[in-house]
Amino acid sequence: MAYDDLRSFLATLEEEGQLLRITEQVRPEPDIAAAANAAGRIGENAPALWFDNVHGFTDARIAMNVHGSWANHALALGLPKNTAVKEQVAEFARRWDAFPVAPVRREDAPWRENTMDGEGIDLFELLPLFRLNDGDGGFYLDKAAVVSRDPQDPENFGKQNVGVYRIEVIGKDRLAFQPVPMHDIAQHLRMAEEKGEDLPVAITLGNDPVMPIVAGMPMAYDQSEYEMAGALRGEPMPLATAPATGLDVPRGSEVVIEGYFESRTRQIEGPFGEFTGNYSGGRRMPVVKVTRISYRTAPIFESLYLGMPWTECDYLVGPNTCVPLLKQLKAEFPEVQAVNAMYTHGLLVIISTKKRYGGFAKAVGMRAMTTPHGLGYVAQVILVDEDVDPFNLPQVMWALSSKVNPKDDVMIMPNLPVVELAPAASPAGIISKMIIDATTPVDPDRRGNFATPVKDLPETQEWIAKLQKLIAER
Amino acid sequence: MSATAPSICPRCAHERLTHLTTSPVAGAWDVFQCDRCLYTWRTTEPARRTQPDAYPAAFRLTAEDIENAIEMPAVPPLRA
Ligand SMILES: [Zn+2]
Repeated sequence: MAYDDLRSFLATLEEEGQLLRITEQVRPEPDIAAAANAAGRIGENAPALWFDNVHGFTDARIAMNVHGSWANHALALGLPKNTAVKEQVAEFARRWDAFPVAPVRREDAPWRENTMDGEGIDLFELLPLFRLNDGDGGFYLDKAAVVSRDPQDPENFGKQNVGVYRIEVIGKDRLAFQPVPMHDIAQHLRMAEEKGEDLPVAITLGNDPVMPIVAGMPMAYDQSEYEMAGALRGEPMPLATAPATGLDVPRGSEVVIEGYFESRTRQIEGPFGEFTGNYSGGRRMPVVKVTRISYRTAPIFESLYLGMPWTECDYLVGPNTCVPLLKQLKAEFPEVQAVNAMYTHGLLVIISTKKRYGGFAKAVGMRAMTTPHGLGYVAQVILVDEDVDPFNLPQVMWALSSKVNPKDDVMIMPNLPVVELAPAASPAGIISKMIIDATTPVDPDRRGNFATPVKDLPETQEWIAKLQKLIAER
Repeated sequence: MSATAPSICPRCAHERLTHLTTSPVAGAWDVFQCDRCLYTWRTTEPARRTQPDAYPAAFRLTAEDIENAIEMPAVPPLRA
């Protein structure tokens, strides 16, 4: 059974020992962000954090780090919490094949219980907002699923986009918004602004645990995130119609903020500590005017700490970046076995592949750079053999250290596109890209001394099972 | 509003501020915003975020920085 809202998922996290309630009184800053930052520093199975005793607030309910460990990511997908990362990605890839799964419309959304509109709109009154990092210009909404439609094709369900963007609260009813140029909402906004029109938008906070995973997933322009959510959930995604904009939003959201981008308006924004582990900001960004807020009674405010990896953000966009790349590569090269694109949303990617013939792995690396996501990411590709697990970094380091002859296996290509946020880019948006081929050369690429590899013994698998059993029974 | 209302923006030293909100628990804190650079802060945050002399140099802004900030994304030309 899939989770239809955040509340039911938090209940499961608590049952599984993966939700920690912080009962002592904390300061809004710097405690909440520091605790969530700390959750990323205490190992791979850190719990979600719950705060409801926050200095100065009378009615705050704050959930942090909800996806911030492999255990929580597994539970979000309905898997046992000890599921290995490689297996979580493989299961994700299997469910992807069910796409598209049509959503189900259920208009009795709990967020219809309460409304703020007109002069009554006050984001500070409704949400316990707080700062994340020292240099941030203000208080952000950074885990919202944001919905917009193609203004030239508004009836097209597939072109309705759901994405995660950074959103700075700059007033009681105003938000500064960063639409990354390579993302779908930037295309929607450009089309609207070319016509001098406002662009309606719905910003949904506190969603079921699959929604943030699909909203942050690199998908094709006309693929529906809701139909992907259905595939990952294994059942249709429940949607309801947002009252002011008519946009399709999750039925289970805690809060639905509606409004519009003020056409052709920009306002100073940021900085904001980003997933790259660096701040970006000091630029003039589009502005959203809020016209209506619908919310569940006693809403939960969910936020995410991000900064120097690993943080919740890395768990959230790790597997969902691996799988599209794997599928796109495998469509043309069935030799590709697995893709680990978990580093900075796929700025670095590790691919394991069989070799069709000499030079093949390098060609796979080049193809990864020209996938839709690769155009803006995939600045470094490491290719490893099919018997190397790309999620097992000691194995990857072994491949690098033993298989690579730098003069033949490292290729650097200048002046390729990359997201503007990539800190190493120069100028912003342009970077050189590198392929490191750590696969074993095959005919007719005859190099090195790889004729007699030491393989695991045939009986080893059997002994792995035996040892695990004996250890478990001790 | 608490007695210690700030007089200038910690980040850009601008003197016009807006009082955005106050704590539901009376007297706990206030949130202010700079009218020029939109820096937003709570009065109970550490000095490094609230006091002009403690504010990190790397994050300070000048009037020039704000005026010269690029648009992202740029406003596209109007189409008929
Ligand atoms: Zn200022």
